[in-house]
Amino acid sequence: MLLELKNLKKTFKNNHVLKGIDLAVKEGEVIAIIGPSGSGKTTMLRNINFLETADAGTMTLRQKRIDMAAPTQEQVLWTRRHMAMVFQNYNLFKNKTALENISEGLIFGQNKSKEEAETLASRALDQVDLLDKKDFYPSQLSGGQQQRIGIARATVLNPDIVLFDEPTSALDPELVGTVLRDMKRLAERGQTMIVVTHQMAFARDVADRVIFFADGQIIEQGSADDVFDHPQHERTQRFLSAIAEDY
Amino acid sequence: MFDSNFALHSFPKILSVAPTTIVLSIIATILGFILAVLIVIVRERNVKILAPIAALYVSFIRGTPIIVQMYVVYYGLPQLLVALKHAGLDTSTNGLPAMLIAILAYSFNASANISESIRSAYHSVDHRQYEAAVTVGMTPTRAMTRIVIPQLVANFIPNFANLFIDLIKDTAIVYNIGIVEIMAKANILSSIGFKYLETYLDALIIYIVICWIFAKLFQVGEAIDRYHTFHTQDSI
Repeated sequence: MLLELKNLKKTFKNNHVLKGIDLAVKEGEVIAIIGPSGSGKTTMLRNINFLETADAGTMTLRQKRIDMAAPTQEQVLWTRRHMAMVFQNYNLFKNKTALENISEGLIFGQNKSKEEAETLASRALDQVDLLDKKDFYPSQLSGGQQQRIGIARATVLNPDIVLFDEPTSALDPELVGTVLRDMKRLAERGQTMIVVTHQMAFARDVADRVIFFADGQIIEQGSADDVFDHPQHERTQRFLSAIAEDY
Repeated sequence: MFDSNFALHSFPKILSVAPTTIVLSIIATILGFILAVLIVIVRERNVKILAPIAALYVSFIRGTPIIVQMYVVYYGLPQLLVALKHAGLDTSTNGLPAMLIAILAYSFNASANISESIRSAYHSVDHRQYEAAVTVGMTPTRAMTRIVIPQLVANFIPNFANLFIDLIKDTAIVYNIGIVEIMAKANILSSIGFKYLETYLDALIIYIVICWIFAKLFQVGEAIDRYHTFHTQDSI
């Protein structure tokens, strides 16, 4: 296993957001996490990347075991250098150009030279068809373009896993397609991905495994066909019937 | 009647003490800025015990007139030094210069206002950029210096310029503790010639020119900083 979570728990002021999550991710696997808002999907991603600190749980990444409730600074930095994250609101650096947004992590996170970082960043921009926008600032780009730069910023680091936190939720409908296309290309290249999404068509089309999340727990998981066409749990069935027109 | 000759003759005399106003304003702002940065760190990091003290200090300074603060330092500091001397510390209470007292009083005043301005500039930088920076592998310090602080500075400069110019104008009351600056000189000259409007008009012109020059300097500084931070030329 590339990544293994055991008994991940998180509470915000008496609100049990994650109630003991177990998750194992294989190399190259694409996992789609679906479920109602407020079910803890995003919190789980933020805990994996230590943007939040869990109350309990262990994570094993590349055979390295980390206590998620008390990670050392070194472990946090090490984990982040093996993972990358794409955010719902892109979170691009507003004071950096498209190219710099991508090269900053290479220079200041991976200690690459400026020249090497810029070459890699240009290539990453090219892969999302935005090389012509390399000198543009985030404020000069559309939401879809910003998100594709967000994806390039994450993947250029050559991470073991890319975490996607509802990457298309903030986008206008006509811009969703290009972002999903870039994500699909990434999956086809064998990138391990955990994608929190409301895009059921994407989950069905690209994900190797779909996980249904509700009330801070994994209710059901399986192949896209299993979960979407033959949901076992009543909670999953209710969720899927509520959003039936989407997939 | 308005004596233009008296006004003309008084002008260079009043202008000659303008450096006192400027030096007092600059030194007080520099010291105030250093103290303000410490206050911001203490408050934003929510340091135990110190954070509520800093908050109280800021609200106290911002809630009282500067002239009262100046008198408190003017009369309070020598007494504090006497008390320290009694307590066995080697402090000299003789000849504490008024300028030093004014600098201290204005530094305290500036620190409170500047700290609030820095905090507001800090909060206006979207924190999620910091999160993105650490997720690409930057250390927290690096994320601050590369991403957050440059944007904070760009947000801070316009406010800082206003605070500095307000401080220049606020120094017009330090003649109350015997410092001869623009306003004091105007007072002295007017009482000699019993011509008030002339000298105060001189003072007015000098203040306007000083404030205008600093406002322009800050404007240029802001434009240069924005250019380096965002490479936008709209403000140049």
